[in-house]
Amino acid sequence: MLGRYILLLTFAAGINGPAVARVAAPDFETQVLPVLTRAGCNTGACHGAAIGRGGLRLSLLGYDPQLDAESLLHELRGRRINLARPEKSLLLTKPTRQLPHEGGHRLGKDTEAYNLLLDWIKAGAPLEARRTLQALEMTPSAQTLSDVNRKFQVQVTARFADGSREDVTRWAVFTPADPAALRCSPTGEVTVLRRGQSVLMVRFLGEVGCVTALVPVNEAKPTANAPARHNFIDEHINRTLDQLHLPASPRAADEVLVRRVYLDLIGTLPTPEEVAAYRADRAADKFAQLVERLLARPEFVDHWAYQWGDLLRITSNRLQTQGVAAFHGWIREQVKDNTPLDRMAKEMVLALGDGHRVGPVNFSRIAGDPRSHAEHLSQVWLGVRLQCANCHNHPLDRWTQDDYHGLAAIFAKLSRGQSIQLQERGEVIHPKSGQNALPRLPGERFLNADGDQRQALADWLTGAKNPFFARTAVNRLWRALLGRGLVEPVDDHRSTNPATHPELLDALAKDFAEHGFDVRHTLRVITASAAYQRSSLSLPGNRTDDRFYAKALVRALPPVVMVDAVSRVTGVAEKFSGLPDATTAIALTDSRVPSVALDLLGRCDRNQGCGAENSGAGSLPLTLHKINGSWLNDKLADPRGRLHQLLHEKQSDEVIVAQFYRLALSRQPSATELAHWKGKLSARDETERKKLLEDFCWALLNATEFCCNH
Amino acid sequence: MPRCDGVTRREFLRVGGLSALGLGLSDALRLRANEKAKLPNCILLWLDGGPSHLDTFDLKPDAPAEVRGPFKPMQTKVPGIDICEYFPRLAPHTDKTCIVRSLTSELGEHNFGSTYLLTGYKPSPVIQYPSYGAVVAHTRGGKPLLPPYIAVPTPSVQEGNGYLPVANRPFAVTGDPSKPGFQVRDLEAPGELPVHRLERRREFLADIDRIGKQIEENGVRQDRDAQFEQAYRLVFSPAAKKAFDLSAEKPELRQRYGMQKLGQSCLLARRLVEAGCPFVTVTDPTWDTHQQIFRTLKEGYVGGSNGKIPQLDTALSALLEDLDQRGLLQETLVLVMGEFGRTPKLNTAGGRDHWPRAFSILLAGGGVRGGQVVGKSDARGESPADHAVSPTDLARTVYTLLGIDPDREFHTSDGRPIQVVSGGNVIQECLQNGGKS
Repeated sequence: MLGRYILLLTFAAGINGPAVARVAAPDFETQVLPVLTRAGCNTGACHGAAIGRGGLRLSLLGYDPQLDAESLLHELRGRRINLARPEKSLLLTKPTRQLPHEGGHRLGKDTEAYNLLLDWIKAGAPLEARRTLQALEMTPSAQTLSDVNRKFQVQVTARFADGSREDVTRWAVFTPADPAALRCSPTGEVTVLRRGQSVLMVRFLGEVGCVTALVPVNEAKPTANAPARHNFIDEHINRTLDQLHLPASPRAADEVLVRRVYLDLIGTLPTPEEVAAYRADRAADKFAQLVERLLARPEFVDHWAYQWGDLLRITSNRLQTQGVAAFHGWIREQVKDNTPLDRMAKEMVLALGDGHRVGPVNFSRIAGDPRSHAEHLSQVWLGVRLQCANCHNHPLDRWTQDDYHGLAAIFAKLSRGQSIQLQERGEVIHPKSGQNALPRLPGERFLNADGDQRQALADWLTGAKNPFFARTAVNRLWRALLGRGLVEPVDDHRSTNPATHPELLDALAKDFAEHGFDVRHTLRVITASAAYQRSSLSLPGNRTDDRFYAKALVRALPPVVMVDAVSRVTGVAEKFSGLPDATTAIALTDSRVPSVALDLLGRCDRNQGCGAENSGAGSLPLTLHKINGSWLNDKLADPRGRLHQLLHEKQSDEVIVAQFYRLALSRQPSATELAHWKGKLSARDETERKKLLEDFCWALLNATEFCCNH
Repeated sequence: MPRCDGVTRREFLRVGGLSALGLGLSDALRLRANEKAKLPNCILLWLDGGPSHLDTFDLKPDAPAEVRGPFKPMQTKVPGIDICEYFPRLAPHTDKTCIVRSLTSELGEHNFGSTYLLTGYKPSPVIQYPSYGAVVAHTRGGKPLLPPYIAVPTPSVQEGNGYLPVANRPFAVTGDPSKPGFQVRDLEAPGELPVHRLERRREFLADIDRIGKQIEENGVRQDRDAQFEQAYRLVFSPAAKKAFDLSAEKPELRQRYGMQKLGQSCLLARRLVEAGCPFVTVTDPTWDTHQQIFRTLKEGYVGGSNGKIPQLDTALSALLEDLDQRGLLQETLVLVMGEFGRTPKLNTAGGRDHWPRAFSILLAGGGVRGGQVVGKSDARGESPADHAVSPTDLARTVYTLLGIDPDREFHTSDGRPIQVVSGGNVIQECLQNGGKS
C-alpha cells in the first residue's frame, strides 16, 4: 500500500522579475531551493518525481534539502554545479535552455533568480544553513472586494528562526483553489473572477498558507431586518452574511423546528403528542427546555453511539461480535455519562488488554499495523489526513515524513490481535533513512525512544495547546446539526483548506475546551443559535447558498434514522435477524447486521472511514426498492400495521390522513391538503378505499418532506 | 398471482395497456433510438487500480530484466503490433483496436488519477467533475427506457455524476453476473401490484410535496423526481427489463465471454448497449498489483491459469467479436483503461507501484481507426517518447467520437458554466475520418 499515497502535484509558475543588487552568498535552503520550486523544477511531473527525471532527482517541492544538495553537488561528476566556471553549471544552462532541456525554458538569463543561483555557485555553493523558516505571513490574509474583476496585491513575508523577516512574494508559489474563481499572477496580484468566497493557496519552502478573497453574492445589501443573534455563533455567521450581502431566512415554524431537533439530537421522529405539547407550551425558553429533555433521552445515547460507531469503524469484520459488543457498550456508557471527550480519547489511546473484554482497546484493534494506527488516530482525533506524509512531506500542509513515521513509531511496541499489549521492542523504519523512526508528536517534538510514549501522546492530543483536537470535535458536531462542516471534508483540516468561518470554528473549540470538552454543552450552544433555527425556505437572494447558513440545509435522513422513521409511521418495526423484536436501527451496534433497506440507503460499512454523505439516498436501486421491494410494501400491507388498525377502528379518511401527516411530517395537514385528499381518496367500496389509503401512505413515505430533515 | 381486482401488471402490458400509460409502440421502438440518431454508444472497461502497461500492451523485451519482467511480446494480426503473449484471443483482433502507448498524467494516487482519467479534469477541491458516462447520459436526453448510464456490477467512486444532476449517476446493477440466478434487484414487484396503482402512487407522491410547499422545488426534490421517473420507465417496460437477463443468451456465447465476473459483465454490457443504453461501464477493481504482479496477471493463484490477463483476453476478445458479428461495433466505442500504469522497476514485493507518467490504453469500434498503435514510450516505459497524450486529450477524443462537442458548456447547480473538456487536443490518429465526424 505504500504506493497508494504517493501524491504528485504540479505547481506551475514562471520566473520573471528583474535583477537586483547582489548580496552575500545566498542561503541554500531558504534562497536557492525556493528558486527551484518557483521555477517548477521539483514538481511531481518533473525532477520531483519519485525517480526524478532526465537523471536528476530533486525532493518533491524541496522538502528534503539534503537530498537536493546531494543531487546537485555530487551526482554527474559535479557538472551540475561547476565551481570553476559557474556560468557553465548545468543548473544554469539547462533551465535557461542554453543546452537542450526537456522541461523547456524555466529561467530567464540575468533575472534575479538566475543571479541568485549564480552567486551561490560563485560563493562555492555553500550548504551550511544560515537560517530556518519559522512561519509565513500573508498580507492581507483576507480581502473583501466590491465586485468581480477587481484586483488586490498579496504580500508574503517569511519569518525566520533567527528573527529576520523577508518579503518573499516573488519566490512564493500561488495556487488558486478554484482557478475559475481566482487568478493570481506570479507576482501575487490577485483578480477575483466570481462572486462569493474563494481561497488562494500560498507556498514557500515547507510552509503553506492561504488568502481568502470575498466578493458579495448580491450587489445590494439585503433590505430586510438584520438576522437574529442568539449567541456568539450568530455574531460570526451574521458577519459573513453581511459581508456577502446574503439575506437570512426567518426562524422556522415551531413544528419544523421540533422535528428538526428531534431528528438531529435523538435520531427519532417526535410523536404527534410531543409536537402538540410543544406548540401549546407558552414558556419563553421552551426550545431550550426541549433540547434539555432530548439530551436526557435514551435515544440520544443510541443515536450518538451509532455515529461514534461509524467514525470509529465498529464492525465485527475486524473486531468480532465480542469486540463490537465491548466497544459499543463502552461508547454507550461514555455517551450516557457524558464523559468529557478528552478523557474518552485518552482512554482509547492508552487502553491495553483483551478487546473482547475491554471496550476502548478496540480503538487500536481497528489498525493492523503502526502506520495505519497513526492514520486512524490522526483522522479521528486530529481531523487530519496524514497519509501523504508516508512517502514524502505533505505538499499541501505542514506534515513531514518525520511526523508520520514518528507517530507510527509510538505504536510500534503494541502487539496486535485480539489483545493489545505493550511489548519490549518494536520499531517503524523511516523510509528515508532506513533507520528506526524516532517517536514524535506530529508537528511538535521528538520523544525519548525508550519506554512507552503513548501517555505523552495522549496528553499532547488533548492538551490545551493542541489546535486540532477541539476543532475537529466541534466541527463534527456542527456538521451533524447543520448538515455541513465549517471545514469540509471533516477529516481534512489543513491550512490550505480553511474553514468557511475560521473564527467561529476557533470560538466553538475554545468554548468546548473551556466547558471541559462537554459534548452536550456544545450541542446546546449550537441548537440555541439563530443559525440552527432558520427556515430552509429561501428568500430572494439566498437561493443558491449552501455554506453560509443563510437558510437551513435540507438533508436526507441518515439511513438508520430513515428506517426507524418508516417503522414508526407504519407501526411495523423492522426486524433485524437474531436481535430482539423491538430493536431500532439507531440502536444497532454492528454495521454487518443484514438489512437490504440499510444497504440501499447507503449505510457506512465501517470498513473504511465514511463521510457523512450517504451515497444510496436518491439512487435508482433504492428507488426501485421503494416501488417494488419489500421494505415499504410489506409494512403498508401488514394487517397489524397502523393503517389497517385505523381502518379496523372505522376511522374516517380525514382522521387517517391527518394522523399520518402528524406522524410522518410532524404537522397538521392544511385545509387545502385535507380537501385535496378528500377528493382523491373517495372510494366505491371498502376494498378500494383500503388500497387508496395504502397508496396515500406509500406516497407519504416517499415525499421529500418525509425523507429529509428540513 | 393476479389479484381479484383485475389484471396484473404483466397481463396489463400484454393485453395492450401500453397506450393507457402513454407508452405506445413508438416508445418500445425508442429502445433503439440511439441507432437512429447515429450516435455511438460506449462500453468502458475500467481496470481500476492501474494495469501495468509494461506487461500488457507495451512490452519492453530489450529493457533490463528488472524492467521487462518474464512476459514476452507476441505478434498479432497486424504486423508490427506486438502485445503480451498471454493475449492469444485478442491478438487476432488488433485490426479493430487502437492502442495508445503514450498516455501521461502527473497524478499517481488512485482517487486523483481516476478522476483525471474518467473526467478529463484534474481533481479540484471546489468542484466534482462528471465522469464520461454521466456526460453522455446528460446529453442524450429524451426519456429512454433503460437508464442512460449503467455500471456493471458497481462503479468506482469517480464514475459519478459530479456537478451534473443525480439522475446522471450510474445505475449499479450490483451482484455478480457470473453467478447462477443473477438478477437485478427489484425490477419486478413480488406482490404484483397492478399498474394503475403504481401510477396512482406516483401521482399521489407528486401531490404531497407540491401541495405541502415545505420543501422547495429544487435540488433534493428534482433529484428525487428524476429517480422515480427513471425507475417507473424501467418497471413499466418488459423489454427494458429483459435487457438485464443474461439467461437469454446462448450457453456457448456465455462460455465464450468467460464464466467469471469480468466476462459476464462484458456480456451484460453488450446486451444493455444493444437495448439502447448509451453508456455502460464495466469496473474491475483488481488491478492494483503492488505484490507478485506476474503471478497475479498470468496465473491468478499459484499454478493457476486464470490471472487478470487471461480473463481480460477472453472477455475483451469475445466482446469485440460479438459486437462485430452483430454489426454493433461501428456504433459502439469500446474503451479499455485504468488510472495509470505501473513502475518500470519492480519493487521488493515482486510488484509494480503506481506510474502515471507513461501508460497505455486501448480503443476500438465506434469510429476508431483500428489496426494501429498511437504514440510510444521510451526504452524503459518511463515517459512518452513520442506523441504524449494527456487524459484531457483523451477526453476530447472520446467525446468527439461519441458526438459530444467537447467545448459545450454545462452549468453547476449555482449557475457556473463549465466546459465538457477544457483544453487538450483530439488525438486525430485515433479517428477513422481524422476527426471530421
